[in-house]
Amino acid sequence: MTVAQTIHVGMADLVAVKVPSLLVTLGLGSCIGVVIYDPRNKVAGMAHIMLPDSRDAGAVLKPGKFADTAVPRLLQELSALGALPSNLQAKIAGGAQMFNIPGKDSGLLAVGARNIEATKRWLAHFNVPLVAEDTGGNKGRSIEFNVPLWNLSVKVLGVGVKEL
Amino acid sequence: MEWGDFSNLQLDAVREVGNIGTGNAATALSQLLGRAVDMGVPEADLIPIYELAGRYGSPETPVCAVLIRAEGDFPCNLIFVIDEGAGQELANLLIAMDISTLDPELQIQMRDSALGEVGNIILGAFLNAISMLTGYVMPASVPAVAHDMLGSVMDIVASIFGVIGDTALLVKTSLQVKDVECEVNGNVIMVPDPGSLETLLQKLGV
Repeated sequence: MTVAQTIHVGMADLVAVKVPSLLVTLGLGSCIGVVIYDPRNKVAGMAHIMLPDSRDAGAVLKPGKFADTAVPRLLQELSALGALPSNLQAKIAGGAQMFNIPGKDSGLLAVGARNIEATKRWLAHFNVPLVAEDTGGNKGRSIEFNVPLWNLSVKVLGVGVKEL
Repeated sequence: MEWGDFSNLQLDAVREVGNIGTGNAATALSQLLGRAVDMGVPEADLIPIYELAGRYGSPETPVCAVLIRAEGDFPCNLIFVIDEGAGQELANLLIAMDISTLDPELQIQMRDSALGEVGNIILGAFLNAISMLTGYVMPASVPAVAHDMLGSVMDIVASIFGVIGDTALLVKTSLQVKDVECEVNGNVIMVPDPGSLETLLQKLGV
């Protein structure tokens, strides 16, 4: 099957598709790339989540920015393309803490762990099973999600590529 | 204050902080290496955080980044970013001996330690300049070194600015080491904690 289009999902972006696509995010650091898909109806979407909670912020210009706004919006867009809630599955990658300062918890630098926790919590809240993840650690990641092969390939600099 | 509301005068003031900081950092690096170090004109830009990943190069460019965290009167993170190849060159300049026969793991540790020290001196000099300008006390952390994609480093910068808004005020300056075979260019990026830039601007009276 040939891939018809490559879509780059930038920071805080959110994309849902129904045609063969490669959804790509380059250089995830503390952010999370989440994909949710319905393999039966061949619908998939990706969001590039930057922060765990929109309640800490003022206006929400881009729902893809926060875990608590990105997950419901993505589900809404998938549903509009014909996805059924009972078919949905999710995969996530990202949430690294690249800079570790000994002896410091350094709140802002540790946002990756909170992003992972919040994204999982919201997936569970909407009963979307998380079928695969590559999260945490101290290395950035580039990810590609193939629609409709449903594999998420995760590339880490100096380490290689793994398929989820 | 929303980030987009900064006036040109305030941007100029931030640029000047970058200028003095980088001047200090260039002198420190030059003394450390015993070589001439040039500095570029600092940029202070308001950039939508969503454009940060590709702003300074391809997101997948391998870079070496050294970060120190300053607390106290002006809490911020300072990051020194350099292309991976140039970073290795810089580490070799500092080590100034042939370590290629050593255990590879030990070589990595020695280079990382050297890079951490370079970052520490450059960023420490930058902080000192802010401190002299304002009288602020800003105890700094030890340096943290990462080798990663440029996009991933900028991803973290974007998240810190993203906490309060959709725009980043980025001070970026460049340092260039002279008289070396390989070109060594590095950038210093200042990332103030949410809200702390306003304090700095007030102190500077703009």
